[in-house]
Amino acid sequence: MQIYLPIAELPLNLFLLLGMGAAVGFIAGLFGVGGGFLLTPFLIFIGVPAPVAVATSSVHIAASSVTGALTYWRRQALDVRLGAVLIAGGVLGAFLGVIFFNQMRQLGFLDLIITLSYVTLLMSIGCLMFVESIGSMIEKRVQRGKPVPPVPPPPERAWHQRFPLHVHFVRSKLNTSVIPVVTLGTVIGFVGAVLGIGGGFLVVPALIYLFRIPTNVVVGTSLLQILMTMIVAIFLHATISQAVDIILGLVLVVGGVIGAQFGVRTGQTLKGEQFRLLLAMLILAVGVRFAFEVVGRPLDPFVISAVEVER
Amino acid sequence: MNRLVPFLLLALACLSSLPARSQELVLTLSTREVAITSTYTGADVTAFGFIERDVRSVTRAAPFEIIATVQGPVGDIVVHKKGQLGPIWLTAARERFARIPTYFALLSARPVGEMVTDETAQRLKLSLTDYLPPLDTLPVPEQAEQAEFRQALLRLRQEEGALVIDPKAITMVRPNLFTARVNVPGKAPVGLYVINVSVVSEGVVLRTSQTGFVVRKVGFDAAVADAAKNRAPLYALATVLVAVLLGWVANFAFRRD
Repeated sequence: MQIYLPIAELPLNLFLLLGMGAAVGFIAGLFGVGGGFLLTPFLIFIGVPAPVAVATSSVHIAASSVTGALTYWRRQALDVRLGAVLIAGGVLGAFLGVIFFNQMRQLGFLDLIITLSYVTLLMSIGCLMFVESIGSMIEKRVQRGKPVPPVPPPPERAWHQRFPLHVHFVRSKLNTSVIPVVTLGTVIGFVGAVLGIGGGFLVVPALIYLFRIPTNVVVGTSLLQILMTMIVAIFLHATISQAVDIILGLVLVVGGVIGAQFGVRTGQTLKGEQFRLLLAMLILAVGVRFAFEVVGRPLDPFVISAVEVER
Repeated sequence: MNRLVPFLLLALACLSSLPARSQELVLTLSTREVAITSTYTGADVTAFGFIERDVRSVTRAAPFEIIATVQGPVGDIVVHKKGQLGPIWLTAARERFARIPTYFALLSARPVGEMVTDETAQRLKLSLTDYLPPLDTLPVPEQAEQAEFRQALLRLRQEEGALVIDPKAITMVRPNLFTARVNVPGKAPVGLYVINVSVVSEGVVLRTSQTGFVVRKVGFDAAVADAAKNRAPLYALATVLVAVLLGWVANFAFRRD
């Protein structure tokens, strides 16, 4: 069944869109990532104009993060205070990101920067997580049956505690300075604005590895941060580029919220290392896909990049 | 868009009333307006034409043949060319084709190359590239690359269905009565579509007439597009609400604990 999308200005299959929304929603709920880095390329691939694809993905991401965040909230696996500090940094970062985005576009470096940062970010984070999670799985195997070695006492002061302005994040079992947390938020906001993504795939590993926060709290908090970022993004896209398609958004959201429910449930049954391994594989797969796009001779050197109808 | 419609229809009326010449060409369309609703997937518009012989004109033994072009709304099309930079392939050059039809169709009953000479074809603007500045007006060093870009433009637009060359779209019902079938694809842009119809006999163009139709959104789709454009903050708020409410409802509906 075809449905006409009034802003994207083309008819698309309703069930294809519902299915895509559900699949991305599942992954979003499972890993606490927005899934924008999957949905946007999907939409462009089936013919949605790039600005509409980027802008409307944020509607889907917002909805699936509401569902996911509420579920984690009820399970007390969400740190509102940590989320708030991250968001504060994120707003600043997004602002800087938009300025950088326009500067680079004027200089003509935008394509290069976007493609290279996607490949570098996804591949490096994916590889690090992959190696780490395999390592900790092997370690567990080896240690099975042996008496549990005493846990080494945590260092007196972790690197992130050496800054002033300490705050105690109860849920995250973290007592740290706000400065590194705000900085992380700023970096995520900046990268998110430049690459048009929520940044969940950066927040989750950063909180797990840099701040040693328990995995289940990380996912809920990341979803909260993504939700806020996406609400801001929807407003910016709808007012500045006028590229948000509410009908496309609605269809994707209906699929997405259902998928997200099952994703969250599946996520709760996964062990920490399994979770990290799967997320690492997903990030690597997308990274490889982007790498393929730029490495090796393209099938067709020419592409139509934009069709702008005069109004 | 809605406010433009009366003007567009007026423009159409003017187009169809050109002064008469030796061969009268009467055109009419199956519809003047293609309405886009939620279930729109494209439309077929048929043009009917009648060639009226003037008694004073030279009687020709050869049959009449018809060539029609359809030009959608004009716009800019940007083509990128990838080039190698070290180990990776990135956009190396880009070309903006300004103000050309974003939908173009060439309709006939047999390949146009067999019907008219290249000069005539160029004069009648039978190719999308005839809407661009002629190649030989460009500086010589740029010509080769331009030609390559133009070829890519034609090929890619044809693959996308935005450029149609159909040598079977015209049917001669009688020697002086014909139909032309225009297929408007679902993703063709909204706006004015101009149809130019030429009567050709033995490679000579006897008469050219113009008609056209409008593709526009109606009802719900028009309201949504209008809100997105003219009430952007409200539209943004509605979109955020849809997302948050649906997320909340889903969470409520699926909760087990």
